[in-house]
Amino acid sequence: MKNLSDEEIVQKLKTKISQDPELSKLQLKISCEDGTVCLEGEAKKWEQVVALGHFAAGVAGVHGVVNKVWPKTLPRPEKERKIKEKAPWDGMKVDVVIVGGGIVGAAIARELSRFNLKVVLVEKEADVAWGQSKGNAGWVHGLAGVDEDPKSMKAKLCVRGNAMYDKLAQELDFPFKRIGLLAIVAEEELLPLLDMVKELAKGHGVPVEMIRDREEIFRREPRITEKAVAALFFPTYGSTSPYLATIALMENAMMNGLGLLLDTEVIDVRIKNGQINGVITDRGNIFTKFLVNAAGLYADEIAEMAGAAEFTIHPRRGEMLIFDSEYSSLYSHNLAPATLKTDPYTKGGGIAISIDGNSIWGPNAEEIPYKEDTSVTKEGMKIVWEKFSPLVPSIPKDAIIAAFSGTRAATYTEDFHIAPSREVKGLINVAGIQSPGVAAAPAIAEMVLEILQKEGLRLKEKPDFNPRRKAPPSFRLLSDKEREELIARNPKYGHVICRCEHVTEGEVVEAIRRGATTVDGIKFRTRAGMGRCQGGFCGPRVVMILSRELKISPTKVTKRGPDSNLLIGETKSLLTEA
Amino acid sequence: MIGGGPAGLAAALKAWDEGIRDIYLIERDMELGGILPQCIHDGFGAIIFKESLTGPEYAQRYIDMLAKTEVKIKLNTMVLDITPEKKVTAVNSEDGILEIDAKAIILAMGCRERTRFQIMIPGDRPAGIFTAGTAQRFVNIEGYLPGKKIVIVGSGDVGLIMARRFILEGAKVEGVYEIMPYPGGLNRNVVQCLQDYDIPLHLSHTVVEIKGKKRVEGATVAEVDEHMKPIKGTERFVSCDTIILAIGLIPENELSKRSGIQMDDTRGGPTVNEWMETSIPGVFACGNVVHVHDLVDYVTESAETAGISAARYIKRELERREKPIKIELGRNVRYAVPQLISEKRLKGKIRFYLRVRNPERKVEIKALARQDKVFVKKFRIVRPSEMIRLEIPTENLSKAEEYCQLRFEVEGEQT
Amino acid sequence: MKKKHYFTCIVCPVGCQIELVEEEGRIVEVIGGECKLGEEYARKEFTNPERVLTTTVQVEGGALPVLPVRTEKPISKKLIKSCMKKLAEVIVKAPIKCGEVVYANILDTGVNIIASRDLPAKEDKLLK
Repeated sequence: MKNLSDEEIVQKLKTKISQDPELSKLQLKISCEDGTVCLEGEAKKWEQVVALGHFAAGVAGVHGVVNKVWPKTLPRPEKERKIKEKAPWDGMKVDVVIVGGGIVGAAIARELSRFNLKVVLVEKEADVAWGQSKGNAGWVHGLAGVDEDPKSMKAKLCVRGNAMYDKLAQELDFPFKRIGLLAIVAEEELLPLLDMVKELAKGHGVPVEMIRDREEIFRREPRITEKAVAALFFPTYGSTSPYLATIALMENAMMNGLGLLLDTEVIDVRIKNGQINGVITDRGNIFTKFLVNAAGLYADEIAEMAGAAEFTIHPRRGEMLIFDSEYSSLYSHNLAPATLKTDPYTKGGGIAISIDGNSIWGPNAEEIPYKEDTSVTKEGMKIVWEKFSPLVPSIPKDAIIAAFSGTRAATYTEDFHIAPSREVKGLINVAGIQSPGVAAAPAIAEMVLEILQKEGLRLKEKPDFNPRRKAPPSFRLLSDKEREELIARNPKYGHVICRCEHVTEGEVVEAIRRGATTVDGIKFRTRAGMGRCQGGFCGPRVVMILSRELKISPTKVTKRGPDSNLLIGETKSLLTEA
Repeated sequence: MIGGGPAGLAAALKAWDEGIRDIYLIERDMELGGILPQCIHDGFGAIIFKESLTGPEYAQRYIDMLAKTEVKIKLNTMVLDITPEKKVTAVNSEDGILEIDAKAIILAMGCRERTRFQIMIPGDRPAGIFTAGTAQRFVNIEGYLPGKKIVIVGSGDVGLIMARRFILEGAKVEGVYEIMPYPGGLNRNVVQCLQDYDIPLHLSHTVVEIKGKKRVEGATVAEVDEHMKPIKGTERFVSCDTIILAIGLIPENELSKRSGIQMDDTRGGPTVNEWMETSIPGVFACGNVVHVHDLVDYVTESAETAGISAARYIKRELERREKPIKIELGRNVRYAVPQLISEKRLKGKIRFYLRVRNPERKVEIKALARQDKVFVKKFRIVRPSEMIRLEIPTENLSKAEEYCQLRFEVEGEQT
Repeated sequence: MKKKHYFTCIVCPVGCQIELVEEEGRIVEVIGGECKLGEEYARKEFTNPERVLTTTVQVEGGALPVLPVRTEKPISKKLIKSCMKKLAEVIVKAPIKCGEVVYANILDTGVNIIASRDLPAKEDKLLK
């Protein structure tokens, strides 16, 4: 099919918008350059902004949508810039800069660390994986979705990446289980559709087993809802700890030479003669010819800094519920209700069996205007509970111990955008990585490597590249004998400071040694604070250990980076102030 | 003894007094006393010592008494597992993994605090949200203040005590928000912690959202209706930097569940008989792990029973009835401890602890064996937050013995 | 001019609402209590309310950084705030024994501030 010209795209889009009763009333400026649509103007509410973006993406031949439309009534997001001291590395020259320390950035870093290259990864938060990579339930999807186009980037990379997980988890020592997904059909009317679903799944090159025998369903999941009439079993689905996977990838990359800069935010991109020249961060400048943009929710802002906007990220929040580990052994597979989709842009979520102890239900999907909004809402939590509870009647509502949300970095084309920039040489965009980003990550890294090579990056293999990384010991997973040996080597492993998860002081100290500087950093790396008391017991102990190990006052210990301090002063400080 | 708080201490002392000499007291914290060292306020010991002691003073009394015995104390030691065969596995830095085969075990692990998402408070998840007990630990043990402008959710005693503590240290307490139409803590604390300092107590209110990017910036509160649902239009944003959650205590029974003992749904603790023995013979439980007490004096009392009973068990002196007398809960009784009477030869008095569901005035609490009233006690007022202690002479229980049943009922006027 | 003051009696769990009527500081009548203790309580609260103050003071060289302390006896409610300010400056040296006076005769009340617990010096084990 012949691609539409830019003018034709604009015309088609204008026509589409004029046919919509609400959108047609808006004052908009629509342009298109080289297949990238640009929308500007004012909307009345956020839903309209998103609708416009999707309209534009739906026009044939559109490569990406830059959507600058903003609702009149909403304040613009504020950008707080902290003044930071210039780092000693200011002015360094490297071969590649990766922006973004999520699972994708980490996977790319690990791939690049196989070669004789000076690579630096810049992450704005105090620890890695603090964007989407921790804001999800750890699904390693078998496929991007039965109704997803098998030729889309996310469909292909999902299947490829998923297959790489066994080896990766083994080499890098992070938790992964190929647990399978049991999609439960509870509505008789859907039975005729099952064959079609099976065909669609096969179209993705993924095995799926249809189970019409109810006895078989109950044999595999004895406590599943009585209403189950059939099920689809996807054996390649897996469950992982996405932040532990990110940390593992990052540590391996660092073992092999990667430089990691935390709490460092890219504030501008340097261009020279249409080519990447470097990045300006809030701690100093880094010069490079290759910039890998894996900045998740902020990938559009990085591209814009380079003067090469080709897409806009519209955040889509998903809320999740975490359940008491007491109930984790009741079910053996990831579960989801097989129903007709109401929302075209989300797979619908499900029940993720815990890899770590707690089951996570969700996510729902809600378009929100602010990237930083990771709040949980009454409605969202209600939706998640009501959607999945019917599947698992054995789990009571008071088994909920926590709730969180993650925000998907979705482009308007709703596919991954992994390509060299069309405007600036050396900029590789790895953007729009929403679900199934975790599953796809290893395959994305491979693809990015190929792109970099094509763009002129010389790849010379390191003879001493070490693909193996060992995780720090987890007391709760060891046998008594292993525990004895560990304590004999380091008595701190005998001092349990998190009662719910049996996390020891030794593990906290080791996490700090490996880079954690915050209470959340300790939480994600050791699980201290993830149990049913949610940090009530271990909280003060973790703060004191951080204070001791980092040699800072407890008042300087933060939950997750600057301005999230836990304590405001010593006990008498307010009385002696006046 | 698992737990070296007031329950564990009193139980260990009594077991020693009764002649048991091979006693281990295992405590996960760096010192004995349990929660008492951080409860620096007074009001403890009014019944046992006829004095108003502070928490640390009360603990010190028992710690000093214990020091005179040769009970083996293991600090900084966490019990990891208990089996139904009474094998205890614990760990610490000096001994590594400890495996102890016990003739008797006394569970005295106390309780933990209810957390934010157990009541599903929506909103952001910034720094500055603490349960009251955790905040208390920071202030009174580590010596640090969690914030300067405080909102307290829930009017449980710990919250009220911390409200006063914060004010005394120079912080501002914006208000206490309680979802019920009556306070959750003792009257004395409402007067001496809130009224004394003009801290507003908003009854029938709840927090509907917490706001804050990195640190708490405020909370939206709202009035609730008789079904405890927020009333639209009553929302108000309260600016603050700290949210203290004082929304209830939960007996800490994870270890108990591992040992397989029977649990009682009405209060989150193990089912016990009048010896404080659980469903596994030789495994006893006392203190807050059984049910949450308002007075530490009663914790000590139940722990002494447990200690004596454990000693008698080891000496094979406990004689059980063929069929235990089951305690049943009638009108307005939320729970009663013990749930069973096992003693074959009843003598003296049996002590019961009860809590009502709803506050009532001009009350008669009755104990019945089927239709026969075997015991009555009058109270001017009863409240869910104030535990009721009854001592029933065993002479009254012959009918209960016959029917193997005793039912408690509360009759009164609604307040 | 007659003025009314309200007190919630805390002597027993009933929590009677006591109404105390006074004129120029002189108590005229006290009503509302179901027993005599309520009237006594209200009178004391009106004429000279007293409280036990419990707080912590800073410690030097102790196994813990702060020491819980208390007024040995109740002191006038009006003095609580200034008492706290005074104690904010106090630094006690470990080891300390429970009951030891850490600040004598606070604000000239004749009441001492005493330690609520034993606190050993940093090197000693915190056992007893």
